[in-house]
Amino acid sequence: MREPDYQCLIVSDFNVSNFAGYLDNDPEAPRLACHCGPFGQVVQVLGNRDLDCWHSPPPDCLVVWTQPGRVIHGFSQLMAGGNVALDEILAEVDQFAALLAAAAQQVKSVFVPTWVMPPFERGLGMLDLKMRAGFSVTRMRMNLRLVEALEQVPNLYLLNAERWFQLAGKAAFNPKAWYLGKIAYGNDVYKEAVRDIKAGLRGIAGQARKLILLDLDDTLWGGIVGDIGWENLQLGGHDAAGEAFVDFQQALKALKSRGVLLGIVSKNEESVALAAIDEHPEMVLRRDDFAGWRINWGDKALNVADLVAELNLGLQSVVFIDDNPAERARVREALPEVLVPDWPEEKMLYRKTLQELACFDIPVLSREDLDRTQMYVAERKRKISRHEVGSLEEWLASLEIKVVVEELDESNLPRATQLLNKTNQLNLATRRMTEAELLAWARQPNHSLRVFRVTDKFGDYGLTGLASLTVEATRGRIVDFILSCRVMGRRVEETIFHHMLELAAEQGAREVLVEYLATPKNKPCLTFLESSGLSRREDGTTFFWKTAEPYPRPSQVEIEVQPA
Amino acid sequence: MQTEAIIRVILEALEELNRQRPAELQIPRTPETVLSGDGGQLDSLGLVNLILLVEEGVADKLGVRISLSDERAMAQEANPFRNANLLAAYIRRLLEEKESV
Repeated sequence: MREPDYQCLIVSDFNVSNFAGYLDNDPEAPRLACHCGPFGQVVQVLGNRDLDCWHSPPPDCLVVWTQPGRVIHGFSQLMAGGNVALDEILAEVDQFAALLAAAAQQVKSVFVPTWVMPPFERGLGMLDLKMRAGFSVTRMRMNLRLVEALEQVPNLYLLNAERWFQLAGKAAFNPKAWYLGKIAYGNDVYKEAVRDIKAGLRGIAGQARKLILLDLDDTLWGGIVGDIGWENLQLGGHDAAGEAFVDFQQALKALKSRGVLLGIVSKNEESVALAAIDEHPEMVLRRDDFAGWRINWGDKALNVADLVAELNLGLQSVVFIDDNPAERARVREALPEVLVPDWPEEKMLYRKTLQELACFDIPVLSREDLDRTQMYVAERKRKISRHEVGSLEEWLASLEIKVVVEELDESNLPRATQLLNKTNQLNLATRRMTEAELLAWARQPNHSLRVFRVTDKFGDYGLTGLASLTVEATRGRIVDFILSCRVMGRRVEETIFHHMLELAAEQGAREVLVEYLATPKNKPCLTFLESSGLSRREDGTTFFWKTAEPYPRPSQVEIEVQPA
Repeated sequence: MQTEAIIRVILEALEELNRQRPAELQIPRTPETVLSGDGGQLDSLGLVNLILLVEEGVADKLGVRISLSDERAMAQEANPFRNANLLAAYIRRLLEEKESV
């Protein structure tokens, strides 16, 4: 039996043994070892970190699952016919939220299912959503208050439990289970909860899928485009399956808008397939919605691997969708890390099947996530332009590259930390720090940290560079120099050095040292330093620059320094 | 025929219970496995879960609502929850009674 990836503490006001069992036994990654807090003592457990359940063993993640009528006393009074002011109930919700926020500081992540009521609870009937004291409207306000009170707690996630109950249907609640075993909900509810929590944990660990590779014929549209022409494809119009294909494309576009990349792997003539994408009036997805494609008659597994490499992603980031079971089997066998979901024959189930995939959850949406497809599209256009322009220098000049320099602040901190912790190749010191640690380091006296946004005429690369500097008396030291591989080799490296060495000179440094700390992956950084024009010491890994002479700024790159 | 169908329902319930149990506490899915009483595999919560799952299974598969959690079940001379065979025999008696009404 594999060691668990996380220790999970479940705190609840009902018997959660069944849920804990499913969570423990679920074969999907990550593996959890669950233990339950003392039954029915939610407030006591959340408020007292000396209790055994917090230490044996210390949990990495926490699930707090409560029933509205048990944890919020005012709500239970309301349900019993009492006259309780809404403000009193919401004040109790605030207290509960404060307990959750405090508990969140003890663990890496917290999951809190929203409050639900059994569907047989009719409340005040037709007045339940009309009167201020209706059960349903009060519960909705309680949930909303919880959302508002906790939205700033970065590692706490409220999960929409309503969905689990809808999926479980009649089996979601069984009063006998409550009276016989204090089991609040049906097993199907727990299984859905497990799926969502596991998807969340994978997202937090950076294991969400990032790329969907799609077949075209009978997947993105109905019919074989090479046989019938794009004019005759089943797509949109007054046709059930045609509408279903449009809906499927819209669901894919929605995923794209939250940072999931789309790509095409199809056996077709490329020109014919692209004409359909460009010309068909009912296509939702157009050429610029795709980060890349392989449209040819080659083996799909090879095409998947090739395209994934081009997009600089890992196979574990990929979902492959194809209506043809033989192609699915081929990719599944050749590339086991790729997620190949079983795909329905019925076209009208495509959208539902896509939306059921619990593999795209991510904990935060950064600007870079949202713009990711655009970056790949821009890169494709850059490559085309590279073939059209003569020398490298001419091409770089034609790109109209601009580097914007910013000081580290709360707004760019998450992305800066992500860059610090994920970049391996062009990374001088490969330091790994949390957001708080990075900010604290940057705010120390004599420390300077700058982040760099890069754009060119084709688009925005986003925040792709980071450099830091310390200056003691007349000696400066570049501590971090990090650049995303997306912009490597475009004179951005030299532009960053120009800026940082100028900054060091302003702060009194006459000489600036750059010490290369080798890792198995950061050889590209050494290669750059060797060609950078910096002088090299005898140890071979320390470079330096005398600031009496300005470090030259590449002529092809414009630089703009944002005021602090 | 009906007894076989009932035993299938009970074994499926055990399969579901096993999904909640650790590897070392998996219940062998046989009609003879001792489920409750001396040497039984189920604790009180496990028994509650079995009762609920079998009641649901009988309703779904055989279309009849029965109760296994009433006093009558608990007052049987031979523990009907001892193993799947005895539980199936007890359920069959309940179904026959319902049919004869």
